[in-house]
Amino acid sequence: MSQSTTLPTAAAGTGEREFMLDVRTQDMEVNMGPQHPATHGVMRILIRADGEICTGAQPHLGYLHRCAEKIGENVEWLQYLPYTDRYDYLAAMNNNLGYSMAVEKLMGIEIPRRALMIRTICAELNRIGSHLVAFGTYGLDLGAITPFLYMFREREWMMALFEKICGARLTYSYIRIGGVFNDAPPGWLSEVERFCDTFEEKWQEYVDLLMVNHIFVQRTANIGVIPKAMALDFGLTGPMLRGSGVDWDLRRDMPYELYAEIWKSGCFQIPLGKGERGTLGDCWDRAYVRVMEMIESIKIVRWCLDSIAPGPVIAEIPKTLRVPAGEAYVGIENPRGELGHYVVSDGGKVAVRCRVRGPSFTNLAVLEELLPGALIADSIAIIGSTDIVVGETDR
Amino acid sequence: MEFRGILDRLRAIGAPGLLGHDEPRGADPADKKDKGRAGDPFVLVDPQRLPAFLEVCRDDERLAFDILIDLTAADPSKDDPNLWVLVHLLSLAYRQRLTVKCALSKAAATMPTSVTVHRGAQWHERECGEMFGITFAGHPDPRHILLPEDWLGFPLRKDYVFPDEYHGISCK
Amino acid sequence: MLAAVLFAGAPQSGTNPIQGLLEQVAPAAVPAWAVVAATIGIGVGITVAIVSVIAMFGTWMERKVSGHIQCRYGPMRAGWHGWLQPLADGVKLLLKEDLVPKGADRVLYVIAPAIVLASVLAAMAVFPLAPNFYFADIDLGIFFILAMTSTTTIGVVMAGWSSNSKWSLYGSMREAAQVIAYEIPLGISLLVPIMVAGSFNLIEVSNDQAGWMGMNWYIWPWVNPFMLPAFVLFFIAILAETKRAPFDLPEAESELVAGFMTEYSGIRWSFFFMEEYAAMFLYSAVGAFFFFGGFESPLTWLVRHQFGLTVGVQAEAWSLGAILLTLTSALTIVVKGFAGVFLMMWLRWTLPRVRIDQVMTLGYKYLTPLALVCVLGAGLWEVFVKGFLPWRNG
Repeated sequence: MSQSTTLPTAAAGTGEREFMLDVRTQDMEVNMGPQHPATHGVMRILIRADGEICTGAQPHLGYLHRCAEKIGENVEWLQYLPYTDRYDYLAAMNNNLGYSMAVEKLMGIEIPRRALMIRTICAELNRIGSHLVAFGTYGLDLGAITPFLYMFREREWMMALFEKICGARLTYSYIRIGGVFNDAPPGWLSEVERFCDTFEEKWQEYVDLLMVNHIFVQRTANIGVIPKAMALDFGLTGPMLRGSGVDWDLRRDMPYELYAEIWKSGCFQIPLGKGERGTLGDCWDRAYVRVMEMIESIKIVRWCLDSIAPGPVIAEIPKTLRVPAGEAYVGIENPRGELGHYVVSDGGKVAVRCRVRGPSFTNLAVLEELLPGALIADSIAIIGSTDIVVGETDR
Repeated sequence: MEFRGILDRLRAIGAPGLLGHDEPRGADPADKKDKGRAGDPFVLVDPQRLPAFLEVCRDDERLAFDILIDLTAADPSKDDPNLWVLVHLLSLAYRQRLTVKCALSKAAATMPTSVTVHRGAQWHERECGEMFGITFAGHPDPRHILLPEDWLGFPLRKDYVFPDEYHGISCK
Repeated sequence: MLAAVLFAGAPQSGTNPIQGLLEQVAPAAVPAWAVVAATIGIGVGITVAIVSVIAMFGTWMERKVSGHIQCRYGPMRAGWHGWLQPLADGVKLLLKEDLVPKGADRVLYVIAPAIVLASVLAAMAVFPLAPNFYFADIDLGIFFILAMTSTTTIGVVMAGWSSNSKWSLYGSMREAAQVIAYEIPLGISLLVPIMVAGSFNLIEVSNDQAGWMGMNWYIWPWVNPFMLPAFVLFFIAILAETKRAPFDLPEAESELVAGFMTEYSGIRWSFFFMEEYAAMFLYSAVGAFFFFGGFESPLTWLVRHQFGLTVGVQAEAWSLGAILLTLTSALTIVVKGFAGVFLMMWLRWTLPRVRIDQVMTLGYKYLTPLALVCVLGAGLWEVFVKGFLPWRNG
């Protein structure tokens, strides 16, 4: 067997090797990005490749760095809320929620129950929307274009729902410190119910078209395997962690808002990767977790629709917030994993430190480990399965 | 396990570098200026022994803080001689969190890297390095991560002066 | 009209109807080489026109098919259901700036799209649109088509190499590997109908399939049961040959941006595009010739039946039956060709892309051996079973 058929090891020195045929070859360095369709935004991955095989990968971030944390130290508490929309722009409701909860934790505000309900509905609908993009673009990465448009059809409706409740389609700033900005307009809740009915019907399409498609399975099973220990070592969260079979979801295990109550009612489950089509923790498992989570989110929305009652939607808070001195960390289950906000206040109008722990940022770090040894086409599948939003990795 | 329980356990196993702790408290009625402290409790740890501390937290069976959620830093104020380095730990088995805080002198902001304990700390430490000017000794890849490689100054320090221009691009 | 004019040439096999017509109408003063030159000029013009029209219709069809598959309409503004859209695109592409990247090998970069388009034009030259409407009727028709269409690869590799872009290089290397892998099953699976027909000539193969209401097409299991698997292999192979999904690795847009044509723009890029659609049509028309009866359909059978025409015999030039036969034959082959194109589009908008090693595995490990099995089986059938089938010996 010639040497050329063996997989080269990662970081093989200068990348130059002598083959048995007396042909000197050299690894090729390929820039994937910052303008590349598969990097889901402006991220650059420097790939060292031996033919079609990656021998090394180095992600370069920062193309979308907008100094969110620095801005957080310079604007008032409430003014920072629109900036939270902009890091994970696919799940802006969840970002609003995470930041509001961190500030509320410092202030110790009691949130009206109806506000909690609407927050949960919005966060879960947004989770569905985010997973639709994640799974749709994953199909796109693997060359299946049509399922992506089917998913955008449903996402369009989801965004129209948000437009009806807050006027914005992507950057909502709807969940405010102390509750939500306004009550749901008349008929909105019943439309959400209709959305749930339709979505459950359409969801099966995605499973049939993509999830169990033979080519899709061939492209994702046994690719980019993250074993459990590695997932913990890298601090992965969300579907990346559950895809590796770790049974962890903040909504159940460290419940916030209404999730303790919802979990007790037994209406939703936490889908886990089981290595059904390949190895536990492969790309297929991560996609599976996302797909299954969508339907679980629908169940949570339904529970909220069943139990919502009239009432106030925002607590009494002053126009200019003065947050008590202290520091608080709040982590919530974003579609991509644990979104943490660590806020420090000295009792003034402006935060001393506003740290955002974006799940994409941490989840992306695993690429350096996963890509070497994969084919170029597999590297696309792996990058897609980490489901990053560059707005969040770069903040 | 609540914070007190974790603290007791840390003391019982003699966690390296444990210096103290702080908990939220109400305002002191005797002192009018004192408004108390809200939020989360944390433990104070010697930054030079942080990796050893994290290792103990991870490996102790009653703590099992197996995920490093976040490693970041904060500059409390311009006048403060210290930076804070903050580590947020998560234990899946016991469903608990722990905030670890280290006071690191601004003048000599060097501490050992935690990558040896949690590989996930790698990018967080790179970010701390460029934003706060903390040097993590033994870090395998101490490049900038979000900022350009030639960016001067440490933007998240309170004494940072915003540059007028960058490579001829006006920043005002 | 053109068909009728050319029809007057009344050619024998091996000659050209255009030349025949010109020789009839040319004054004696015109030298013989001028007639030949004029013939070539007219023929090239017609072939280019046909390729352009096919490519334009193909792009329009791709947009409409993908649109309707994806719950949208596709182009709707330019003309009725956007049928003028390809013209608008053509004008846009012509007006675009002609860009050659810095560091590109200028000569190769410019030649590459020309070679790609020329190869498909050359292949189109031997493609008959009706039994008596063609530019060249050569006995090795299908052999020539296959040879010419695989020349495309040279252009693609040149494009990838000369673009000075690593993504382009990847795309062209993939194309080369893929085409080499799939030429083999493509050729072998075509051997099955060639063996049954006993001819490489497209028109003869088509004539061989004439029969009551198109019941004599090779694809039918009562003709030869190995034909259907051979067609499936052929179809998979032409998907790979024309770089269509799920084998669109050379231009895999999510991996290689646009593969070998990443750096191309404007009219040069449109050459690649025209080649793709023309090749799709050509290959599926070849499939129609060799598996689905070629010009033979219930329609042509009816015409022939009504006017008492015989298969393979040229009728009197201007008779109504002959004209109708020409028209229905052309309609038949165009419809069949675009049905195959539609099938390819349908697959493209449904399936994810396979990986390069899977493509190679499929080509070398499965398709090639299976094609050989088909050839063997079909041959045995022809030798031992055919004699017992009354409908094969009529």
